[in-house]
Amino acid sequence: MKKDLLTKRLTIAPYGAWAVLFIVVPLVFVAYYAFTDDSFRFTTANITRFFTTTANVTDETGAAREVHTYLLIFGRSLKLAVISTVICLLLGYPLAYIISRASDRAQKIIITFIMIPMWMNFLIRTYAWMTILQDTGILNNALTALGLSRIKIIGTETAVVVGMVYDYFPYMILPLYSIMAKMDTKLFEAARDLGCSGAGVLRRVIFPLSLPGVLNGITMVLIPSISTFYISQKLGDGKFFLIGDAIEGQYTANNLHFAAAIAFILMVILLICMAVMRRAVDKRPTGGV
Amino acid sequence: MKLSGKIYTALIFIFLFAPIAILLVFSFNEARSLSVFSGFSLKWYGELFRDSDTLKSVQNTLIVAVCASVIATAMGTAAAVGIDKLRSRYIRTALDTVTNIPMINPDIITGISMMLMFVFVGRLFGAATSLNFATILIAHITFCLPYVILQVLPKLQQMDKALPEAAMDLGCTPMRAFLKVEVPEIMPGIITGFIMSFTLSLDDFVISYFTTGTGFQTLPIRIYNMTKKTVTPKMYALATIIFFVILALMLLSNLADNDDSRQLRAMRKAKRAARRAERAAERAARLQKAPPALSARKKTVIAVSAGAVAVIAAIVMIIASSDNQPRVLNVYNWGEYISDGSEGSMDVIKEFEKWYRAEYGEKIKVNYSTFASNEDMYAKLASGAVSYDVIVPSDYMIARLVDEGMLLPLNYDNIPNYQYIGEDFRGLFYDPDNLYTVPYTYNFVGIIYDANVVDEADTGTWDLMWNPKYARQILQFNNSRDAFGTAMYRAGISVNDPDYAVWDAALESLLEQRPLVKSYVMDEIYNMMESGEAAIAAYYAGDYFTMADAQADNVDLQFYCPEPTNYFVDAMCIPACCEDKELAEIFINYMLSEEPAIANAEYICYACPNSLVTENEEYLEDMGEEALAILYPDLGSFAELFNEYAYRNLDTEHLDYLNTLWETLKIN
Repeated sequence: MKKDLLTKRLTIAPYGAWAVLFIVVPLVFVAYYAFTDDSFRFTTANITRFFTTTANVTDETGAAREVHTYLLIFGRSLKLAVISTVICLLLGYPLAYIISRASDRAQKIIITFIMIPMWMNFLIRTYAWMTILQDTGILNNALTALGLSRIKIIGTETAVVVGMVYDYFPYMILPLYSIMAKMDTKLFEAARDLGCSGAGVLRRVIFPLSLPGVLNGITMVLIPSISTFYISQKLGDGKFFLIGDAIEGQYTANNLHFAAAIAFILMVILLICMAVMRRAVDKRPTGGV
Repeated sequence: MKLSGKIYTALIFIFLFAPIAILLVFSFNEARSLSVFSGFSLKWYGELFRDSDTLKSVQNTLIVAVCASVIATAMGTAAAVGIDKLRSRYIRTALDTVTNIPMINPDIITGISMMLMFVFVGRLFGAATSLNFATILIAHITFCLPYVILQVLPKLQQMDKALPEAAMDLGCTPMRAFLKVEVPEIMPGIITGFIMSFTLSLDDFVISYFTTGTGFQTLPIRIYNMTKKTVTPKMYALATIIFFVILALMLLSNLADNDDSRQLRAMRKAKRAARRAERAAERAARLQKAPPALSARKKTVIAVSAGAVAVIAAIVMIIASSDNQPRVLNVYNWGEYISDGSEGSMDVIKEFEKWYRAEYGEKIKVNYSTFASNEDMYAKLASGAVSYDVIVPSDYMIARLVDEGMLLPLNYDNIPNYQYIGEDFRGLFYDPDNLYTVPYTYNFVGIIYDANVVDEADTGTWDLMWNPKYARQILQFNNSRDAFGTAMYRAGISVNDPDYAVWDAALESLLEQRPLVKSYVMDEIYNMMESGEAAIAAYYAGDYFTMADAQADNVDLQFYCPEPTNYFVDAMCIPACCEDKELAEIFINYMLSEEPAIANAEYICYACPNSLVTENEEYLEDMGEEALAILYPDLGSFAELFNEYAYRNLDTEHLDYLNTLWETLKIN
């Protein structure tokens, strides 16, 4: 047992030290900046500013109303990110399952092909989407050639979601696939032998077993899509101002302390969400096995 | 695979590869456009291989990605094994949380927070510059680690814990059990973790941007910094090459891995396993006689060797970061803002190195880096984390740098070519006594419109951008100062007015314009104007030619200059952190000499304040009368207009106020 303890320490120690130095300490810096003013005196003004800044917004009907600027921005970012994540999951789950049941060779090929687009710079990939989606773009030209009417897609929520789903789809597939590839198919057979329907197997066996992968997939898609600013700028006609834009804008305006405050709040909210999700999964009995 | 599965997979792949197909096609475009295909050509591939800065950035990207992913995979796998063995719920939760942090932190925060820390630590140890290759590598390792752990850990948890125990019962040492039983079980996780790390590192822009040091630019940074002057098909050519390289690698690995050979290998493996089992049994018999003292030490050895990998990597990167060149000049300029040898132009940086060697008999190296905006450049410089010898900021930013004591006075004796700078470009507001700057380019904002769509009668003033007739065909700047500028010039109010009410009025005007605006853009403007996607846009005069050259058949781009408008000057300066002022001044002087100055003026296509250029017959001929009329309109006194209408530096309160107004405009 003593030896075991030694292994444990040796394997964790380098990572532990690294994590403290390069993950925890920088966060302390974010918190420090969030709670100080330009001359590094303690203040909560940055935090309150996030929750209290208001602006007048006119909606489509022309009616003006007062909104909380940053809460609205956060809400919009969250909405787009959640939609993208759900679409990634819905598209990715069946695909991951199909891949995991394919022959070894097919699995390897498909996974490689899913990764290939990621090796081409995402700024450039997003550029290519502009060429496809714009009003005079490839998609609309194709529709016209087929005698169909043009559609307005660039600059809409749909275009931004397409961009996010496209860029982060592999981050959903990989964790899902890696957990499904490991599943023991005998369990499915057993469940079926014991009278489970196909849907029942999915719901009671496959899904519970794949939960850790689902969770990782969700995290890996949700976070980058909530904080992106490049995709929304290029595909949203610059009309979607998301939380990433807000942080970047404050940083560029040399407002490092307020930028840190927005970041700090975003981080706390996300941490709480993730903790709640993980707890919910941990509490579940591990599958219907 | 069932048919339905095949169809589904195929559909997803169409989605995944549609943009890739676009990349492939447009990399062979004859024109510069990324949206109008005008004919097949291989010229962008040639351009790519002549572009040493881009190739260098590819190399940098690969070095960082390889180092970061190898180290992160080694450390992350070890950590996962350790975490899996943890029995204390408390520590486990703590470690899990910490591991999750880089993943649930927006990358911009990870980037900024690490930069803050590196700069702080750097100052603590009195380092002149705190960012270098090591810092970008550390940052990449840090954001890759969680992905490795999150891939490996579930595999360990899924693994039957009885397996390694069984192996040990059969006489395997714990290390051997780990390597022979556990590792193969978790291998898919390790490989996925490694590939993900590599991919993430390859593609990262934001974190690299904040943590990279002087002169070390990765490909994403380079591409992002092209946002004032647009991405060229050269980058598509690069993406295409990457695509085919990966494809080839994959096909090769699959050929080597066909079913026959796999069967053979499996048989060989089985034989080897049998032999191994025999030996293990023998050893087990021996072990019963003499219990080993080795295994614990062996484990230590493995753990230490994992650490050694990190140390070796650290040494490699120190060597890599300390170039052996005796004299280095670090130049920091706008993206696409120097003649770089493409399309038969002069490679100014390379020629300078050659010229210097011939002139002074000494080898020097120019480290050329780019930035995307004055604000980005300022943030980098002000953090004290980087050090440059020559920078090229714009007027209002120069004023700020001077105010904050961040520029060195130039020794004009070392810059004799300064005599060719016209009177009109001396003593401007940002440098009234001519102490700090040498003008590089100047230009102004004008309106570009598609004459096939826009009525000539509607042109001439700023009102065109507010004309409801052209609703949703108008492009507005996607940065606050320039967008507010258009509204303020239109209303005839000063763009530097300290009165907040003036800014509020400009916001009202922009809000009124918003329903008419198709898109808020920076470099996307090129695409949209060339393809006829939009019909009206305000942009820099010189960039009009670039667009007109690549316009589609049904588009007829024209240009005019509304009055008043924004005039700007970008000038070469030497920042206070400069380490070789003499060399910097030689470089500035070289940039003013005839050949490079003309090459730059033709490449950038903005107006040039250098009389060696503007009085050169060849230059005048190359540009043509029409272009000259647009670039060098008869302005009367440039200095007067410039001092009145150029942007001045805003103080913090006003910048903050402007930013808040900008947010209000954007969320509407």
